[in-house]
Amino acid sequence: MTTARPDRLRSPTVPRPDEIRAPSLPAAPGRRPRDAGTGFGTLGLIALMTLAAMALPLVVTDSYLLHSCIVVLFFAYMATAWNFVCGYVGQLSIGHAMFAGIGGYATVLLFTGLGLSPWLGMPVGGLLAALLSVVVGYPTFRLRGPYFALTTIAFAEMIRIWVENTDTVLGIPLNGAAGLTVPLRGESLAALQFNGKAPYYWVIVGLLAGALTATWWLEHSKLGFYLKAIRGDRDAAESLGISPARYQLVALAISAFMTGIGGGFYAQFFRYVNAERLIGVDLSIDMALMSIIGGQGTVFGPLLGAVLLAPLAEITRGHLGGSLLGLHIVVYGIILMLAVLYLPKGLIAPLRSLLARLGLLGRGGRR
Amino acid sequence: MTTSFSRRVALRGALALSAAAFATTAQVQAQSQTEISVGWVLPLSGGSAAIGQQARTGVQIAVDQINAAGGIKALNGAKLKLVFADSQSKPDIGVSETERLIQRENVAVMSGAFNSAVTFPATEVAERYKTPWIVMGAVKDEITERNFKYVFRINNKATYDAREQLDAIDLLKKETGQGPKTLAMFYEGSDWGRSHAANVRKLAKERGYTLVLDEAAPPNQVDFSAQLLKIRAAKPDALIAAFYTPDHLLLSRQMLEQQLNLPYGVHSVGGGTEDPSFYKAISPKAVAYYFVQEDRQVDALQGERLPEFADVEAKFKAQLGYDMSAYGAQGFAVMYVIKDALERARSAERQVLRDAVAATDITAGPALYAGYQRIKFDEQGQNTFAHGAISQNLNGQRRTVWPAESRSPDTKPAWPVPAFGARS
Amino acid sequence: MDPLILSFALVNGLLIGGIYGGVALGLSLIFGVMRVVNFAHGSLLMLALYAAFWLQALAGIDPYASVVVTVPLLFAVGFLIQSVVIAPLIRRESALVVEPLSALLLTAGVYLVIDNLALMAFGPDVRSASTSLALAPLMLGPIPVNMQRLIAFSAAILAAVLLSLWLRSTRLGRAIRATAQNRDAAVLSGIDVPMIYAVTFGIGAALLGLFGSLLATFIPITPQVGLSFGIRSFIVVVLGGIGSIPGSIVGGLVIGVFEALASQFVPATSAAILSLGLFILILLVRPSGLMGRA
Repeated sequence: MTTARPDRLRSPTVPRPDEIRAPSLPAAPGRRPRDAGTGFGTLGLIALMTLAAMALPLVVTDSYLLHSCIVVLFFAYMATAWNFVCGYVGQLSIGHAMFAGIGGYATVLLFTGLGLSPWLGMPVGGLLAALLSVVVGYPTFRLRGPYFALTTIAFAEMIRIWVENTDTVLGIPLNGAAGLTVPLRGESLAALQFNGKAPYYWVIVGLLAGALTATWWLEHSKLGFYLKAIRGDRDAAESLGISPARYQLVALAISAFMTGIGGGFYAQFFRYVNAERLIGVDLSIDMALMSIIGGQGTVFGPLLGAVLLAPLAEITRGHLGGSLLGLHIVVYGIILMLAVLYLPKGLIAPLRSLLARLGLLGRGGRR
Repeated sequence: MTTSFSRRVALRGALALSAAAFATTAQVQAQSQTEISVGWVLPLSGGSAAIGQQARTGVQIAVDQINAAGGIKALNGAKLKLVFADSQSKPDIGVSETERLIQRENVAVMSGAFNSAVTFPATEVAERYKTPWIVMGAVKDEITERNFKYVFRINNKATYDAREQLDAIDLLKKETGQGPKTLAMFYEGSDWGRSHAANVRKLAKERGYTLVLDEAAPPNQVDFSAQLLKIRAAKPDALIAAFYTPDHLLLSRQMLEQQLNLPYGVHSVGGGTEDPSFYKAISPKAVAYYFVQEDRQVDALQGERLPEFADVEAKFKAQLGYDMSAYGAQGFAVMYVIKDALERARSAERQVLRDAVAATDITAGPALYAGYQRIKFDEQGQNTFAHGAISQNLNGQRRTVWPAESRSPDTKPAWPVPAFGARS
Repeated sequence: MDPLILSFALVNGLLIGGIYGGVALGLSLIFGVMRVVNFAHGSLLMLALYAAFWLQALAGIDPYASVVVTVPLLFAVGFLIQSVVIAPLIRRESALVVEPLSALLLTAGVYLVIDNLALMAFGPDVRSASTSLALAPLMLGPIPVNMQRLIAFSAAILAAVLLSLWLRSTRLGRAIRATAQNRDAAVLSGIDVPMIYAVTFGIGAALLGLFGSLLATFIPITPQVGLSFGIRSFIVVVLGGIGSIPGSIVGGLVIGVFEALASQFVPATSAAILSLGLFILILLVRPSGLMGRA
């Protein structure tokens, strides 16, 4: 049998067409292939969508609908955070839930132990997640493809099993498999606890807007440019003095920071965290799948994926009431396979070309 | 500007699509006056799906019986309507489904959710919406220790389970003058197994037993050889085990293969050993002389058998292919507790119904199918008359040995248990 | 620690380790030839276990005899998965940079579909099969060694030896190895690569058919059973060297013995953490594995 050999040998010099652009312009990293106008248009769109979304609770008072919107937007946020590194680096992490877990646990423990408001606890949890991501990412990013994916699962599973079987560590009550509860404080802005759904909704819309803006910034920053160059041809990028490890780690840390804050939001919204769910592989898979099916490496792809897939799961559950065990996961799997085979750039790609054909794109739709 | 415009349109379309999808869900719930909706959150897919299915079957049979017998008489024969939701054993999905059932399906009362990790946060949602919730299966102590007004539990707390196991050992010790001095614990490493182990650990110390092995295993093992060696090396007098069905099956099979003898037997706290599909899959030799902490008395003696009981047992077996399980029985019993409360409340209004449930005091009838003599809740919503039974597997049948008053005269506990080599 | 107990831990570790190695053979073969990480590996084993169970439950066929059905059946399943699901990806990517991640995602989709279809079709209940052969345990001193495990262990070693010989000495085997070494050169020399790929995937799955029948005699069968074996198989294959047939067995033995001995000193949960740690360490320090050429 052969040993692992660089896949590049098979077809030496042909990068994917969409990646030809980036590495072929290495001499001018400051100038980006797209004009600035497009970028600010995207930013305007994010602002517009955020404003429109913020207004929703003024119209919709139905608490379940709002609850469902929060869940969908939570997944959209988590998928966007995942996409921030994986979508642009082209690596598949199936361990991102470990960052959500550390953020969620930190938020709860800082609140119960030190009385620290979740408004501060969430970013602190995010920072801890970023710290963990550097420890995990530093050795791991040297690995590629499936090696990287398997290592991320292994790290996350190690942490999950450890948390599930640890009741206290250094005096900190992790409470093992039983999980942690956020004590009720009633309506309290400081404790990030509300009786209604609308405040939670506004928080997650704000978080999502932040994550989308960060992704937009990435696309137009040197960091994003380098990441794409690394993705297109790692060795060429390296020979131009771009240090893959450094830029990938920066992106991973930002992604983990956002994911950690998402874990904190989960803890506040559901008022309960346990390792099986928040550090579990299911959550990691959801984040990756929504991003990939929607369109990884784009600003809005993960949002699209979540907006389509999260309600799909909800509706199949609601309508079938569990009469066909596991049917919605089968549907999920089939959509995933079809997307990988026929829409490798995600659902966002055909949607754009369809709209272009309908003439809805206006000028320059061919770009 | 161009690409972003396309994205905006795309997104708007997607949002509209999903909004439309939600709207259809909303229209489904045409609430009729002659129907009272009861919401159930159960694990219907994922690792605990078998239990969810058993509970659902018991619940459905009870509702069919109640509706066939004329529904809720105090409400002009209103029929009960069941709305099931799948939690997938995940807390957040359980919470979301609880929201849906309460908000959308407009249920009068909720029940479920077997997994403590789901029940704990989901009951908090019910409390917030002032919707009564009757807990099924979940044993986490804190569920009925939060001063909630709308949460009730018919079955045992986790601490009761541990106490009963040691009570049974103490009883047999008292009766025969001999018994174990050292115990080993071997349990699954998730919430249930670990919290049970913590309770046993505390009680065993109080009662003067020495724990010679205290070992957790992650779920879904494929080999227990290493752990069985450890038990063999620790030489305990008895083993306390807490495993779900697949792991318990592996454990029991391997103990038989390895002829691992424990003088005072294996004391299983249920889980796998209460699951009828477990007994379908295992050789009777592997579970001979097992002590099982049962959530309901399997060889129930009390009173005459009600016709409802024969009916539910026959239908259950016809649907699932094996005999009634503890979770099927608990689901069945919950529905009759709800019926009782509805009859007294004369209303399906949640607040009124909550007060009726709180005032429950049942001493006869199908609501006692799970094996209790009485159902009455304390101010925390816990049924203080809840208890299990300890059975021993004698000649292929689980016969109650504890409490002594429930032991039938022809049940002679095997104590100490015969070694593998000495069994016929 | 009692040396007697430790030596039995060693025996147990070798037995279960050999079985892990045997189960992982197919995963290693498929990766070695096609660079596809088959996420659905455990799911295929689950299907084979159910096949053995149903053959006994419905037709009364002993699990050991059911090998004649499960092996061809799983070959067909593997052949189909490759030619229907994965081949279009390889066709599409032949002109581009191959992205092994897409293949991983595809097989992850297969895993989701198979596991949940099994849940729908077979229900969530645990099942078990048993052989009617009277297999008295082999007594090693006071402690019995289970014969069913010993049989599965021997089959794993035998399967690895036969597979290696077959790959070396037959025309088809040599074509598989040639394709593994250089797909483009194989095409030029007239090898039908899509067919080779489908056959390889079929063989990888057929090996699971074999172990499905052998393991059904002592493993509880549920729709989730594949996951436990799937994750272990990844560890085993990485440890032994991805694509190496002897490496798969060696990796299995190392993991089996490591876990069995570690379990004597720490709880099983910590042993699980340690073996994941070992897996990460090997990936980082020596990604080619113990038996792979660096």
